[in-house]
Amino acid sequence: MNRTIISIAIAVSLSACSSLGVEPWEKDQLARADMALDSEKLDLALDDHIYFSKEGSSGGRSLAGGGCGCN
Amino acid sequence: MQLKNRSNISKALAIASCSLLGHSAQASANTEKPDDWKVDAAIMYYGEEDRVQAVEAIGNVQKAFGDESLLDMKLVVDSLTGASASGAVAQSETQTFTRPSGNGQYETASGETPLDDTFHDTRVQASANWAETLSPVWKTNVGVNGSKEFDYFSLGLNGGVERSFNKDNTTLALSGAYTFDAIDPVGGRPVAFSSMALRADYDTEEEYRAAFDMTRMAGSEDKKTMDMMLSVTQVLSRRWLFQANYGLSSVSGYMTDPYKILSQVDDTGTTQSYLYENRPDSRLKHSFYMMTKGALDAGVIDFSYRYTTDDWDLNSHTLETHYRYYFSGRFYGQVHLRYYQQQAANFYRPFLMAGDPLPEYASADYRIGDMTTYTLGLKFGQRLSGGHEMSYRLEYYQQNPENSGFDLVGQLQDHDLFPEVKAIIAQVSYSF
Amino acid sequence: MRKLLLLLSFMTWSLSAAPSLDYQVQNLQGELVSLTEFKGKVVYLDFWASWCGPCRKSFPWMNAMHQKYQQQGLAIVAINLDEDKVLAEKFLTKLPADFHIRLDPEADVASKFDLQGMPSSYIFNRQGELVQTHLGFFEEKSAGYENEIVELLKE
Repeated sequence: MNRTIISIAIAVSLSACSSLGVEPWEKDQLARADMALDSEKLDLALDDHIYFSKEGSSGGRSLAGGGCGCN
Repeated sequence: MQLKNRSNISKALAIASCSLLGHSAQASANTEKPDDWKVDAAIMYYGEEDRVQAVEAIGNVQKAFGDESLLDMKLVVDSLTGASASGAVAQSETQTFTRPSGNGQYETASGETPLDDTFHDTRVQASANWAETLSPVWKTNVGVNGSKEFDYFSLGLNGGVERSFNKDNTTLALSGAYTFDAIDPVGGRPVAFSSMALRADYDTEEEYRAAFDMTRMAGSEDKKTMDMMLSVTQVLSRRWLFQANYGLSSVSGYMTDPYKILSQVDDTGTTQSYLYENRPDSRLKHSFYMMTKGALDAGVIDFSYRYTTDDWDLNSHTLETHYRYYFSGRFYGQVHLRYYQQQAANFYRPFLMAGDPLPEYASADYRIGDMTTYTLGLKFGQRLSGGHEMSYRLEYYQQNPENSGFDLVGQLQDHDLFPEVKAIIAQVSYSF
Repeated sequence: MRKLLLLLSFMTWSLSAAPSLDYQVQNLQGELVSLTEFKGKVVYLDFWASWCGPCRKSFPWMNAMHQKYQQQGLAIVAINLDEDKVLAEKFLTKLPADFHIRLDPEADVASKFDLQGMPSSYIFNRQGELVQTHLGFFEEKSAGYENEIVELLKE
């Protein structure tokens, strides 16, 4: 039941997404190096390794998207 | 130049950026062309109070080829020493356990949590990933990774596609991975639920050896993992970004921990024997992850939540946040908070009762029991000339295992069967 | 009546929202100038910003094109979209431009052009008609961009 609700929520947010966002020239803040989703990727990789070894679950993150959207 | 004004800091940050396929290209003062190479390195120390200690070193190199391709390579070396909980319960008497190799034994004092300190291992891991921009809206990547330690070998392939919509405000990514692991445990794989052979129970070394060998199976075991992730990243506003991911993972093969045991106790809570654990040979996991990240004038903040569930009935919730504050255009401090709560796998039990029939699967590994963990971290970073950056991180990680509803019989009530595990993480990183 | 007027003005707006040289931008001194001053030349119009990585790579190439073809009638006009002029000036001290720099800080012209990404370049022929649009700047494609300019210069 929970899974259905969550997958619907993702699908709805996908369709609602078409009206959200900014113009290409308004990406100055998102273009910042510290706003990239992989900006601290070593820290994230080390953390993921620790938690994968010491806890029962793992995964979740994706490094795609964000950024200045250039090219 | 006065950099006390917040908006000056954000302007300084805005200039020093822009990702080229996720690769930061900074215009250096002396050259016209941005550097095609980017190197990140870090060394980390992980130390649990009285238990496991590990040192891990990572080197990551990115090289851009033109404006459409990016090669990313990573090398990790880590070394583990120290002791970790074997799964047996504490007793009022001294306990003796046989080492996984069968050569020798170790003792646990009365009232102490049995810890197996046989583990000294070094692992080397390498990975390479190639990312390609196919068109203004399509990107793809493919990668390979492998790792090796004394008793373990892993090889994996991964690939993904990204499609952007709505002037790059929305990105949809689909990725998949296949990993093959082979485990060849020290002393051979233990026979599930076989009873640990103890030297003291036998008159001669030969008899003991014969009994020990009966609890072992030669040869390696393997495990295959298939992962899939669907991710949507959405720009919410000029400063805020959002991501939601769904991950599916299917694992099949040997998932038992060959070094973990369960104590079989009688009605007085006194151990009668130690049995090697047994876990199912398949696991289907789902993960739901959401995060938001915001660009502040003098900092960055992110919040994330992850829910996982699987067919072992192990469910978890993770809440995490990072808040970075720039004291100047070159120096920042960052706070990291993480809260994790997990519900025991359905075959987890802290011990077995001698009179009861054996379950199909059982494990006393606290890492799959009920548990809450807390992380509190502090990081400082400084930007040096030429686009170099150095950072230091110190974190405190505490694991609180909990009793998921088992009656503690007899003397077990006198001991802490769910002790806290406290760890310190210290890391230094350098990138250029 | 008001609704009709609104509809009419919307229609005229959307009709005028198309790439052309009939727009006004600022020069580095902050004065309003029109892009029509470049009519009669082959115009390479480029929208850029200080925070845009590929823009950094495009500047040396645009300088080279300016060197090679300015005499033959190529006008390179780089329109900056930073909100704050100071950021554009800082960028230009590190990467000086021999070609024309204009500013569009409120992004009025960029909106009319309906930019799809950064950087974006628009090539106009000597008659002031839009003939080519490029999204992004790729080193690998720069030879192709140059060919398009050469072809138009021949007319």
